[in-house]
Amino acid sequence: MNKSIAEINDRIRRGDAVVVTAEEIVEIVRERGEVEAAKEVDIVTTGTFGAMCSSGAWLNFGHADPPIKMQRVWLNDVEAYSGVAAVDAYIGATQLSETRDFEYGGGHVIEDLVRGKEIKVKAIAYGTDCYPRKELETIVTKDDLNQAVLCNPRSAYQRYVAATNSRDETIYTYMGTLLPNYGNVTYSGSGALSPLHNDPNYETIGVGTRIFLGGAQGYIFWEGTQHAPTKAMGTIMTIGNLKEMDARYIRGATIEGYGTSLYVGLGIPIPIINERVAKTTGISDEEIRADLTDYGVPRRERPILKEVTYAELKSGRVEVGGKEVPVSPLSSLKQAREIAGILKKWIEDKKFFLAQTVEGLSTDQVFKPIKQIAAAPVAKDLMTREVVTARPSDSITSAAKIFAKRNFDHLPIVDEKGKLVGIVTSWNIAVAVGTGKRKLSEILTSKVIVASENEPIDAIARKLETHRISGVPVVGTGGELRGILTSEDLSKLIGRRRK
Amino acid sequence: MTKKVLLKYSAEKTKEPILASIIKETGTLLNILHAEFSAEGGEILLAIDAPDAEVNRIIKLFEQRGIETKELKRAIQLDEEKCFDCGACISLCPTGALRLTDDYSVELDEDKCIYCEICVPSCPVRALKISKF
Repeated sequence: MNKSIAEINDRIRRGDAVVVTAEEIVEIVRERGEVEAAKEVDIVTTGTFGAMCSSGAWLNFGHADPPIKMQRVWLNDVEAYSGVAAVDAYIGATQLSETRDFEYGGGHVIEDLVRGKEIKVKAIAYGTDCYPRKELETIVTKDDLNQAVLCNPRSAYQRYVAATNSRDETIYTYMGTLLPNYGNVTYSGSGALSPLHNDPNYETIGVGTRIFLGGAQGYIFWEGTQHAPTKAMGTIMTIGNLKEMDARYIRGATIEGYGTSLYVGLGIPIPIINERVAKTTGISDEEIRADLTDYGVPRRERPILKEVTYAELKSGRVEVGGKEVPVSPLSSLKQAREIAGILKKWIEDKKFFLAQTVEGLSTDQVFKPIKQIAAAPVAKDLMTREVVTARPSDSITSAAKIFAKRNFDHLPIVDEKGKLVGIVTSWNIAVAVGTGKRKLSEILTSKVIVASENEPIDAIARKLETHRISGVPVVGTGGELRGILTSEDLSKLIGRRRK
Repeated sequence: MTKKVLLKYSAEKTKEPILASIIKETGTLLNILHAEFSAEGGEILLAIDAPDAEVNRIIKLFEQRGIETKELKRAIQLDEEKCFDCGACISLCPTGALRLTDDYSVELDEDKCIYCEICVPSCPVRALKISKF
């Protein structure tokens, strides 16, 4: 059985198209099978409302008198990209305010534009014969702009990984706040309601598909960046008129310790053109899987702990390492459901018609890592291997002598097997002498921040910065001391890079 | 309304069954929201659901036994206009004061809140606010 888009649009026009949401279709396909479902149902509506960092808007301000060719432009102190024609700019969701840091960014500017709020515009330029003006300050709302177009390079990941954290400290990631020792799990995506998971073979979704975007009707205009359909990680590029959008479905956001983003409401209608599509829309939360990934490891390939289903994730508790931990969805499941419902109502009210696609989307595109011409250095490339160490039973006087003779600040303390048991700094020695302590075991710091041999230098630099320390012992997998790495070693590296 | 009282134990007081004896003496159920102890002593955060006079009597009983008490006068608010039910806060809440309902709405039960404030900065739209008074 096959239905054309034109036929389904006729049914919409006549008011007898059968529209169900991607949650409702699950039961229909389960009970009656895809053949019956394809006969009965014309359209399945989907929805998602998640943080989509790869979002932004093209704005055109119109010309000033005398005219300016905006070299750099700021909207409420958030810089927009203006390396295009004179008064066009792209405000990206993750660009931070220069005055309010993480509290306000491009995502918030976009929300404020949608809300009709006044936006402070500041532009500078170098001045030309045709565009003599060098500075401009003004205040605009969306009504003053010629165009305000939401234009997102990547939207609506088909599904995404679930995140947890093996470290013994809380970390702040784009997957939210992750508690120590696998203390919680976060995930994103609406599972059975996920737009791209309802047509993973791209039989109906393509260039030109009309969609729900931020409360208005928008379009898919290309595959999204990082589109990886063979890994069930497809994405789409989307576009729509920001002026028509509703701030309920376009929200600026701050992700703690990470930056700003934009929550985007998006829904795609899936026309049931045949049984295959009916079957794929029947997918349930039990069948959609996500890799539970350890974000405690700051590498591109993060360890995968296990596979979990969206049904487990949505239940609110997941088992990790033998214990049940709480789960945060990050994307709003309530609003995802609401969007699928609104799209259904638009179609039933004959306010929304399906668009015929003009081109398909790739079904075999892969997502490659960046080509690096030099490997990023790791601890063992830079560390000092000849480390002077001491034992816990050594006296403070002997340690003081070592510090006096050699010019360093960190004295690692090891046991008889060479395993790191603590660290003593020159400052500790000064305090110890002042307070009459005698043995290193009395003053050593046993909770030492360490690095592993293959840890990237960038991750170690961040460790030094967040813990406000000037060096880390480098240890092997059994905790044995292999070397030491100090901020001085790192500065030498930067010196080398600059040369 | 439920009152929240913070009890501060010195090291030597941790050895006495003070809480148990007060529960027994008053017959009032004292709900432990949070407890933390180390070699130097510790803290217990109690939720007491009783009339004011009874709460005051209980506080006095603790003080007579050498426990420092402090009534927590704080409030947490969830701005439902701002909140869009993303649930980022849910898995961070140590007591289940924040939870997702069956229809995926974020719900706050202030009686369970221990004001640890972990949720506050996790909210992407700053819908959670703690006020101290």
